[in-house]
Amino acid sequence: MNSPQQLAEVLTSLRIGNQSYLITFYEQNRDLFARWARRQHQLVPTAAHELLRAVLVTFYDQVSDGRLTKLPPDVRAYVYGLADEKIRSAHTTEILPKNEASRRQQLLGLFQQLGLDCQKMLMYFYFRGYNFEKVAGKMGFANANVARLQKAACLRKLYELRVRADAASA
Amino acid sequence: MTPPAFDLRPYLEELERFADGQMTPPEQAAFEGRLEQDPDLYRAYQAYEQLAADLRWVAGHETLHQRLLALDRRLDQRQDALTRIRRRQRKTQQQWGAVVVMGVVAVLALWLVLRPSTPSVEASWARYYVPEAGLPDDVVNESRRPLLAEAMRQYRDGHYTDALHALRRVPTSSLGQDTLLYYSGIMLLSKEGAEEIRAAQPFLRRVAMQSGSQLAGRARYHLGMAYWRNQQITAARNTLRSVANDARNPYQDAARQLLRSNALPQE
Repeated sequence: MNSPQQLAEVLTSLRIGNQSYLITFYEQNRDLFARWARRQHQLVPTAAHELLRAVLVTFYDQVSDGRLTKLPPDVRAYVYGLADEKIRSAHTTEILPKNEASRRQQLLGLFQQLGLDCQKMLMYFYFRGYNFEKVAGKMGFANANVARLQKAACLRKLYELRVRADAASA
Repeated sequence: MTPPAFDLRPYLEELERFADGQMTPPEQAAFEGRLEQDPDLYRAYQAYEQLAADLRWVAGHETLHQRLLALDRRLDQRQDALTRIRRRQRKTQQQWGAVVVMGVVAVLALWLVLRPSTPSVEASWARYYVPEAGLPDDVVNESRRPLLAEAMRQYRDGHYTDALHALRRVPTSSLGQDTLLYYSGIMLLSKEGAEEIRAAQPFLRRVAMQSGSQLAGRARYHLGMAYWRNQQITAARNTLRSVANDARNPYQDAARQLLRSNALPQE
């Protein structure tokens, strides 16, 4: 994955939600990264794996929300740099103040408060783009209408959480 | 934190049905008409679109996070399985190693127990060598040949150096040359030293070559034995064979016994 054309293809496929590049990257680099993190930052393998996962998700976020418009020529070096940055910031600063947290980050936190079924269903619908029939098949619902009602309920639940969080912070 | 721009709850169901394409064509046309005329509905629609866009981002983020977690678990399981397999292989190799070592030790022990015993030269010599008895007293006639009698006495008592010394002092006029040579060889051979055994050989050989001497056959036996003791195997075998084939030789049986045994190595 080194030619500019290939890198551009990776960027495009990540933007349309094809995450296989990052999944393959994790599979191929997990042990290598763990060795690097142990040497550079004295991290045990489990912590190193967690760090790499977090960094890849950050990388994906940067691509999908348009902060990264050009894929770096050496993706591995870029990912290692992100990991370095993450560790340094973890050592030097606290979590960002609430008023500086972005809307999306807030929504992400609320999303993680939902039940696993709700999370799964919203991911199927809003990220994978499954229709209600396919969601019903995946989730084991009787039909598409049940899936639609369940999705509506989950979205309402998420919205209610957001309203409550806003009221609490106001 | 930015507060929601608009409270969507009164509009949520309708907006969702519109966004998800669940409305009938007349319903959709009516909704689109209201969107253009109702500013509150339009604001609600924009807020809903923003929420849906944020949710798509969150869902993508979480999907990747969970996929990576699942992959991590799978890789850990694979790693564990590989470690287990390697451990099992190492254990099997160790077991086989132990079996091989035990087998080698058992074979070694068996060989030590059952190996063909190679008796020492001294033990074989003591077993197979028939020593010369020496001249009987009536033949010696002590009053006439006191030095010869002394030599024989010392020989029988095992004092071979003294015996040899006495024998050398016996006048040649009172004793045959072959007898003198024969007993000189016998006494040297009896001393059992490597030098003496080699020194005995010329004496015994000279007697053995005197076909007219009564001691020739006996000398041949002792010469053969001297060869054997000196590890001259071919010469020993040939000499002892001629003794074994000589019916008149008093050492015929002794020579045959030695030739049949394993004490004398094969050629």
